[in-house]
Amino acid sequence: MIQAQALSKRYGSKTAVDSIDFTVQPGKVTGLLGPNGAGKSTTMRMVVGLDRPTSGSVIVNGKPYREHKAPLREVGVLLDAKAVHTGRSAYKHLLALAATHGIPAGRVREVIELTGLQSVARKRVGGFSLGMGQRLGIAAALLGDPATLILDEPVNGLDPEGVQWVRHLMRHLASEGRTVLLSSHLMSEMALTADHIIVLGRGKVIADAPVDSIINAGGRSTTRVRSPRAAELAALLANPAVLVTDLEPDVLEVAGMSPAEIGDAAARAGIALHELSALSGSLEEAYMALTQNEVEYRTGGSNGLAAADLATSEPQEAAR
Amino acid sequence: MSTNTMNSLADASGRVGASVTTGSGLSFVGVLRSEWIKLWSLRSTVWSFALVVVVSVGMALLIALASRMDQSGVAIPPEAQVGYLVTASTVGIFFAQMIVAVLGVMSVTGEYSTGMIKSSLTAVPRRLPMLAAKGVVVFVATYLVGLGSILAAYLVASAIFAQGDIGASLAEPEMLRGLFAGPLFLALIAIFALGMGTVFRSTAGGIATVLGILLVLPIVLGLIPADWATDASPYLIGNAGPEIVASSGFSAVKEGWQNLLIVIGWVAVSSVFAALLLKRRDA
Repeated sequence: MIQAQALSKRYGSKTAVDSIDFTVQPGKVTGLLGPNGAGKSTTMRMVVGLDRPTSGSVIVNGKPYREHKAPLREVGVLLDAKAVHTGRSAYKHLLALAATHGIPAGRVREVIELTGLQSVARKRVGGFSLGMGQRLGIAAALLGDPATLILDEPVNGLDPEGVQWVRHLMRHLASEGRTVLLSSHLMSEMALTADHIIVLGRGKVIADAPVDSIINAGGRSTTRVRSPRAAELAALLANPAVLVTDLEPDVLEVAGMSPAEIGDAAARAGIALHELSALSGSLEEAYMALTQNEVEYRTGGSNGLAAADLATSEPQEAAR
Repeated sequence: MSTNTMNSLADASGRVGASVTTGSGLSFVGVLRSEWIKLWSLRSTVWSFALVVVVSVGMALLIALASRMDQSGVAIPPEAQVGYLVTASTVGIFFAQMIVAVLGVMSVTGEYSTGMIKSSLTAVPRRLPMLAAKGVVVFVATYLVGLGSILAAYLVASAIFAQGDIGASLAEPEMLRGLFAGPLFLALIAIFALGMGTVFRSTAGGIATVLGILLVLPIVLGLIPADWATDASPYLIGNAGPEIVASSGFSAVKEGWQNLLIVIGWVAVSSVFAALLLKRRDA
């Protein structure tokens, strides 16, 4: 469990993280999202004490990270795939980290196997591809069998198989009751991996909710209706609270009514329906709406909900 | 390889967690072991230390050969013989100080330039134990390599001098001083450099500053025609250092132990700055 209270970080006059509060719960994968410069990496660095908060505090499993007797067993962290000396072999790198906590060489070999690095473990890290470096970073994070994992952009540079592997690994770790916090720019990937989302914008928390709530709040749910009498149906549904869009001659997209209401209305009018599918918004849409709100709020002070105007964006099949 | 990965995940239900114990926790002995592994797992360390041995033995060879040509059958008094061997055995370490200075700086700036420092400080979040362990490891390794170098240099020089009937026992006080104070001088320079490397966090800046203080500052001060410059000169680490190993007879600070204290003072200042900044700055 990670708990931040009024956590702030200023670099000179620039505020990277602006008095944020959040809790990352165990047993779930929590995704940290936000545009570049929103404060994601800075927040992660403060959790493990690499950056000192300007004010406020962040604790992991009840204590500041540095006060734990075995920090690597509390938190495994992947902040930067390049946090490795390029002149050292992957094996020696892991062995050196393990030695600080008296972690035996057997565990080093175990994480090397787990991340599929056996064939390159004795090679110097300087020659590693981005994906290999990423796997090594994940191996290092897993060394202490930690209760909490923090991974900044873990799928960066991984091939599709590697991306899937990381997703399964994160889900598995969370299912064991561990706390998993990860950031990613890949929204579709995040929608598949995370249970809970924290969105940062300009150093503030702009959303902190389960993935489903985020999607429902941000994106607008619509329904696709296919009917040979689409035009008639459109006229029937016409109402100020309902938005009907003609996609094709006999396909409508309806916002503001549930599929059940549309189906009932069609049945009452005796209009045959060939398709009635609910389309929920995607995390990406919701995210764009949220971060756009942030920008508009900052510049124009307009109402947050009104700014979430997605009428112009194409609804998509939900990623989950 | 990807297949391996997928397989290992397939049976991951329980494999992610450690099947072996994950250790007793963070300890200073563990951090020392970690720093020892880090030091010796870099080729640059091996090359640097090999170069220290080569320079020491090479300089002993040159000095011994040159001195032998000087003596054309003239008998040398025993005290002078000891002096010859001390000089031949230890002259190399004054060149080797540049190598260990670079090694000392890079033992920490190499971590900053590659990003390794983030891994190191995550494993040791209180930070100072890491710096202390680095200091101990660099000191011990440099001392041992210095000791081996001087011994090797002594053996080579003795073999050559023996042809001119010049020799000195290792048990001679001046010889013993050279043998044990030489490596001490080298190891202290390495620690001084480690501190400066931590302060500057950049290889170029650290090396330029350390070599500037060690080699350039004594020359600059020597060129200033003022009493204060003359008075201050013996207190420079670059001037006091060699006086630990053997008295030149020219320094105003005569005793070896006094010079040792001066060098320790420089090392202490460098280390304290390093510790304060390491603790205070963001990694």
